[in-house]
Amino acid sequence: MAKDITLAELQTMADRSGLQLTDEDLEKLLPGVNRSYNQILELRGLITDRTEPAAVFVASRTEKR
Amino acid sequence: MTPTELFHLSITEAASGLRRKEFSPVELAQACLKRIESLDGKLHSFITVTADLALEQARKTEQELRAGTNKGPLHGIPIALKDLYATKNIRTSCHSAVLQDWLPDHDATTVTKLREAGTILLGKLGMHEFAFGGPSVDAPFPAVRNPWNTAHIPGGSSSGSGAALAAGLSLGSLGSDTGGSIRTPSSHCGVVGMKPTYGRVSRCGVVPLSWSLDHAGPMARNVEDCAILLQAIAGYDPNDPASANVRVPDFRAELKNGIKSLRVGVPRANWFKENRGTDPETEGLFNDALRTLESLGAIVVEIDGQPFSLARKANQTILVAEAYAYHEKRFQEAPEKFGSSVRRRMLEGAFLRAADYITALRARTVLNEEIRANFSRVDVFATPTAPRPPEAFETIDPNEQNLRPSFTNPFNLTGLPAISFPCGFTKDNLPVGVQIVAQPFEEGTAFRVAYAYERATEWREHRPKL
Repeated sequence: MAKDITLAELQTMADRSGLQLTDEDLEKLLPGVNRSYNQILELRGLITDRTEPAAVFVASRTEKR
Repeated sequence: MTPTELFHLSITEAASGLRRKEFSPVELAQACLKRIESLDGKLHSFITVTADLALEQARKTEQELRAGTNKGPLHGIPIALKDLYATKNIRTSCHSAVLQDWLPDHDATTVTKLREAGTILLGKLGMHEFAFGGPSVDAPFPAVRNPWNTAHIPGGSSSGSGAALAAGLSLGSLGSDTGGSIRTPSSHCGVVGMKPTYGRVSRCGVVPLSWSLDHAGPMARNVEDCAILLQAIAGYDPNDPASANVRVPDFRAELKNGIKSLRVGVPRANWFKENRGTDPETEGLFNDALRTLESLGAIVVEIDGQPFSLARKANQTILVAEAYAYHEKRFQEAPEKFGSSVRRRMLEGAFLRAADYITALRARTVLNEEIRANFSRVDVFATPTAPRPPEAFETIDPNEQNLRPSFTNPFNLTGLPAISFPCGFTKDNLPVGVQIVAQPFEEGTAFRVAYAYERATEWREHRPKL
């Protein structure tokens, strides 16, 4: 399990994201943000180096008028 | 049936009555509008009632029918739309202060299709704010109530659609589903809802929550009505980048083909016991439904529940990342306009790294393959739609609504078609639904199972006492 982020770290991240959040907002957010990070670690256990994301870019041709 | 009770009719019954001139489109629309006026003060299912428009459309339909024009089974049928479907010059609020006064300059593709099919628009329906989180306590419009017991939630996010159908305020509706938002209110309100295959129905003009998980789909009072609505809105739309250019079959044609020898997979192991587990009364009603399916010739088998359970985490990561990306500018400029519940959950997306989002998309690839591999053994999956019956408002925490165990959201991740239909009532007379999931673009198979079950039981005859 990764180390949880702190309130101060969350404040820095919010500032860099252009978000003006109150201390109360950040305190409410913190548990959910840490829960999200822990979910990512679990998901990382499912994938291998060969796994591509489930998103496909399709090159499409533009016909001449 | 008196003219004032026309609101109880199914779409097929109403269409038949209109053709036989037993009542007029105006009488049918008026019956629904009077019902809305008398009941919606305690249900709050409508945000906007378009009474003048509905009567104008009904009068026009009357002339068309008199002239012999027949636009099909939805011609003259009153419907209502979840308030995230863009409707030209009609408020489309997403139940949020952010879009409280938005008058779109266009119709969603599905709205255009329903208008061309001859439907009558009664109005726009309440929902969870931006189709996310739980019932809003600080939104500009009140939270929708469950017609079976107004102290209980109707489920969401298409809460107004579920409540309006159950209460007889509308004969059909459209919802949207990113993690279960068509199927859960269908289950909680005792109606039928279909989340079609990803790409089957255009999302153009539907305000997004999460582009890669959002599905538009129909809700109705019975399976055949739901199939009729899907028939009208399905099909390729070049204005939706995810739209699938595949043939749309006649969904009603195979309804009556039965389910003999159809293999039904139940992913019970791991999944049913996840977190706080499945409510015993819900599981009992679900098991009864499986026995009914067996009595109709289906073969029920257990399949591995592990990948279904894990899918929720990938779904949630993708959802909050995409939802925040869509709303980022609004959060930077005026976060206070969002309700507290949706603000707290969506903002989690601001703190995910690009690598986190891509990890979830890579996990989606793996889980999709693992879940779909089960189709080598079965034709459909079956689960309860929701782990428990609709809860009382006073016992729920809106902030926890998206963190609950879910039988629905793996099928947003996989894009598989999934239908919810009623399978009974609890001792407290609250509805419970069962979910049937089919292979991609095989909505007809899911409809067929639902129809066979519906005809073998009497749940569709139950109505809330209002």
